[in-house]
Amino acid sequence: MGSAERKESLRYLFARVVDPLGYKLTPDEELADFLLEQEVKLEQDHGAPFCPCQGRTRKRAEDMLIVCPCIPFHREHFDAMKRCWCGLFVHKDVSDPDSLPQFPPDEG
Amino acid sequence: MSGPQWVPTIDDSKVRDGAYVPVYPKGVGVLLVRTDGELSAIANKCAHMACPLEGGLLHGGIITCPCHDWRFDVRSGALLDAPELSIDTFATKVEDGKILVELKGA
Amino acid sequence: MTDEVFIYALSTCPWCRRTKQWFTDSGIAFDSVDVDSLPVAEQDEAAEKAYKLSGGRRFPVVVINGEVIVGHNPDKFLEHLKGWGG
Repeated sequence: MGSAERKESLRYLFARVVDPLGYKLTPDEELADFLLEQEVKLEQDHGAPFCPCQGRTRKRAEDMLIVCPCIPFHREHFDAMKRCWCGLFVHKDVSDPDSLPQFPPDEG
Repeated sequence: MSGPQWVPTIDDSKVRDGAYVPVYPKGVGVLLVRTDGELSAIANKCAHMACPLEGGLLHGGIITCPCHDWRFDVRSGALLDAPELSIDTFATKVEDGKILVELKGA
Repeated sequence: MTDEVFIYALSTCPWCRRTKQWFTDSGIAFDSVDVDSLPVAEQDEAAEKAYKLSGGRRFPVVVINGEVIVGHNPDKFLEHLKGWGG
């Protein structure tokens, strides 16, 4: 499968996953495209579509918590921001994702 | 269109306690799981990226997907970390020593 | 007054880019490293530094005059920049 096709399949797979959690793909299409492209590259290089804005530790139990969509494992924090850390997903009611602040969990 | 139907699979004795067996009633990927003596049937497909769950660790009624470690309750099908996400579950019954799985109508 | 700014970033993270762009646009000099673009042997050490400073694995990690800010958060950046009355 080529990168472009993989990007589209991740988009499809992940949209299904985040919907019951109250999230949708960011309406910022340029951002979504860029992030999905990074995830395809991360999957090719490191075996899984890891979050493009979180670092790996090479410890499986830790790294699996940042495989996209990682919302189930950071729910409280992301719900407080109304977006996930990298911004690929936002709460369903968000129409202006640029207005959402990015802050660590202890500053919620 | 057809309604739900019971499809025979394997002998009940083939599913040991604390273990699972993949079966394919009418081509549908199903895991037959026995935990604490109780039989369950779940889709052999992770809710995350559709990886087959077979090969995953089963412990205390929880199966861990071998791809990215998403954990599901084999009785309810629910993802432990977010129960709104789940894998399909199927009703089962045993007749004449054989496990039948109920497939919903297509 | 001169502010000392260091940014730990990932090349894959658009917010890291926006953070660097924000400092550039604001005319504030900074040093930065894209942890994932370093030679493999140096990546772990740089990542560990960022993890230790930030208490997590989220990027960007921005260090302004010794204060650590996690995430692209211009309001927070301004709070810690002396040159901006913060």
